[in-house]
Amino acid sequence: MNALIKLPTAERKYKPKKHESSKTVLRVDGFDLTDKTTDFKALRKKVGMVFQYPEYQLFAETVFEDVAFGLKNFDSALLTEEVRAAVKDALTVVGLDYDEVKNRSPFELSGGQKRRVAIAGVIVTKPEILVLDEPAAGLDPLGKEETMRLLHSLHEKWCKTVIIVSHDMDEIAENCTRAAIFAEGKVIGIGTPKELFSSDEITKAAGLDVPFTAKVTEKLKTLGVEISSDFTTADFIEKTLKRAKTGGAGMRLPKNGGQENA
Amino acid sequence: MREVSFGQYYPANSFVHKCDPRTKILFLIAYIVAVFLAQNFYALGACAAVFILIAAFSGVKISSLLRSVKAITFLLVFTALLNLFFHSGETVLVQWWIITITQEAVYFTIFLAVRLFLLVLSSAILTLTTTPVALTDGIESLLKPLKWIRFPVHELALIMSIALRFIPILTDETGRIMNAQKARGADFETGGLVKRVKAIIPILIPLIISAFRRADELGDAMDARCYSGSKVRTKYKKLTFSWRDLLAFFVVGALIAGIVLLRIYTAAVI
Repeated sequence: MNALIKLPTAERKYKPKKHESSKTVLRVDGFDLTDKTTDFKALRKKVGMVFQYPEYQLFAETVFEDVAFGLKNFDSALLTEEVRAAVKDALTVVGLDYDEVKNRSPFELSGGQKRRVAIAGVIVTKPEILVLDEPAAGLDPLGKEETMRLLHSLHEKWCKTVIIVSHDMDEIAENCTRAAIFAEGKVIGIGTPKELFSSDEITKAAGLDVPFTAKVTEKLKTLGVEISSDFTTADFIEKTLKRAKTGGAGMRLPKNGGQENA
Repeated sequence: MREVSFGQYYPANSFVHKCDPRTKILFLIAYIVAVFLAQNFYALGACAAVFILIAAFSGVKISSLLRSVKAITFLLVFTALLNLFFHSGETVLVQWWIITITQEAVYFTIFLAVRLFLLVLSSAILTLTTTPVALTDGIESLLKPLKWIRFPVHELALIMSIALRFIPILTDETGRIMNAQKARGADFETGGLVKRVKAIIPILIPLIISAFRRADELGDAMDARCYSGSKVRTKYKKLTFSWRDLLAFFVVGALIAGIVLLRIYTAAVI
């Protein structure tokens, strides 16, 4: 997994390993990573990468400088005005007040703000695809929620595709339209979260937990109540309430059980 | 970045591995003295022979030994070229434009290159066959007499072992930061000297900050476990000399004696 998301930063031509046939193809959106002549800079512009704990990559004297770093790297011909506008946009999108933070040192900000600045530093070039490795790692529940909200608004406004790497299955169930499960360097399942979390085998094989809603669904099933939701909290509650109203068989719960969905 | 083999232990169960770290440190110091005492190719040959003997009994793969040389390739080539062109001598071999190469310069260059090789390789043997912990234990034990003049021997040994321990961690960290900045379009490979030096700043600053952060965390962790320096600490592993160490001292003693004799009875190259 790690090696996979690092590919866009790969320096040289990817060398196929011995056991792989020479037909091995490694392509990111038309960029052939097995070809030496590929324009890696263009690839990196198209695919934005936010690594784990991105706040550790901050270095500049001011927030403005740090966010503008990537922008200037990819297009040195930009006018000062354009840079300023882009940086302002990026900082606003991540939920920071441009005028308040632009001249501050990134090191005097809070942890959450640092992470926002770091994310702004990646999205400032408006990449089509944004890849984030554990974007919510180390944040408190509120911070996690804010981060996810931020990613949704980015997805709506700027980036066609947002890919996150996560070990938090609730995060995946709530936020993703498609998910892939990796185990020992192989994709062992790919599909909608609904498909993946409905199949016990896949999650078990990967040693994964399932979202809380899936656990409740499982428990209800043993009590004779089958609810088919897509495992997001909103959908799960809606389906459960509907079921309760129509009063299907088995909706009358046994005396000692099922409190968790009361 | 990953070629740095200094401080990288190569686990094996060889004769050299089993030697007392103090022996190995003293051996290395004596060996370095011997290499510097060597004045001609006979003496240097004796040093090389001893090195080959040690390497053979160290169980270390040749490839991991050579990795330590890789790091100084540039230095080696650079000094060799300087010596070759600028060392004065009488027997001229090549003269072309402003370049003059003399026979003496050729000898001198080869001699210095071999000497540098031996120095680096012998130090590499020490770090490859001795764990950082054993190494600092050895140094602490050897410096014990300095305690008498209130020199903080234990603290010094601690600082050294922490520094050694942090080399691979900081190497990893550098790789991570480089990837992150590369993803933001940073370019470390092209451009002139000034541009390249400037390109290092976005790596260096996060790296220094992370080093301080880790130092803070380590300090807190040590405090939390009531670490209080040298006063009442006992050792988990006691160092003891054995017949191996006696043999090692005998070998290095013979080497130095031989080289001193060679100094007296044979002509010098440098």
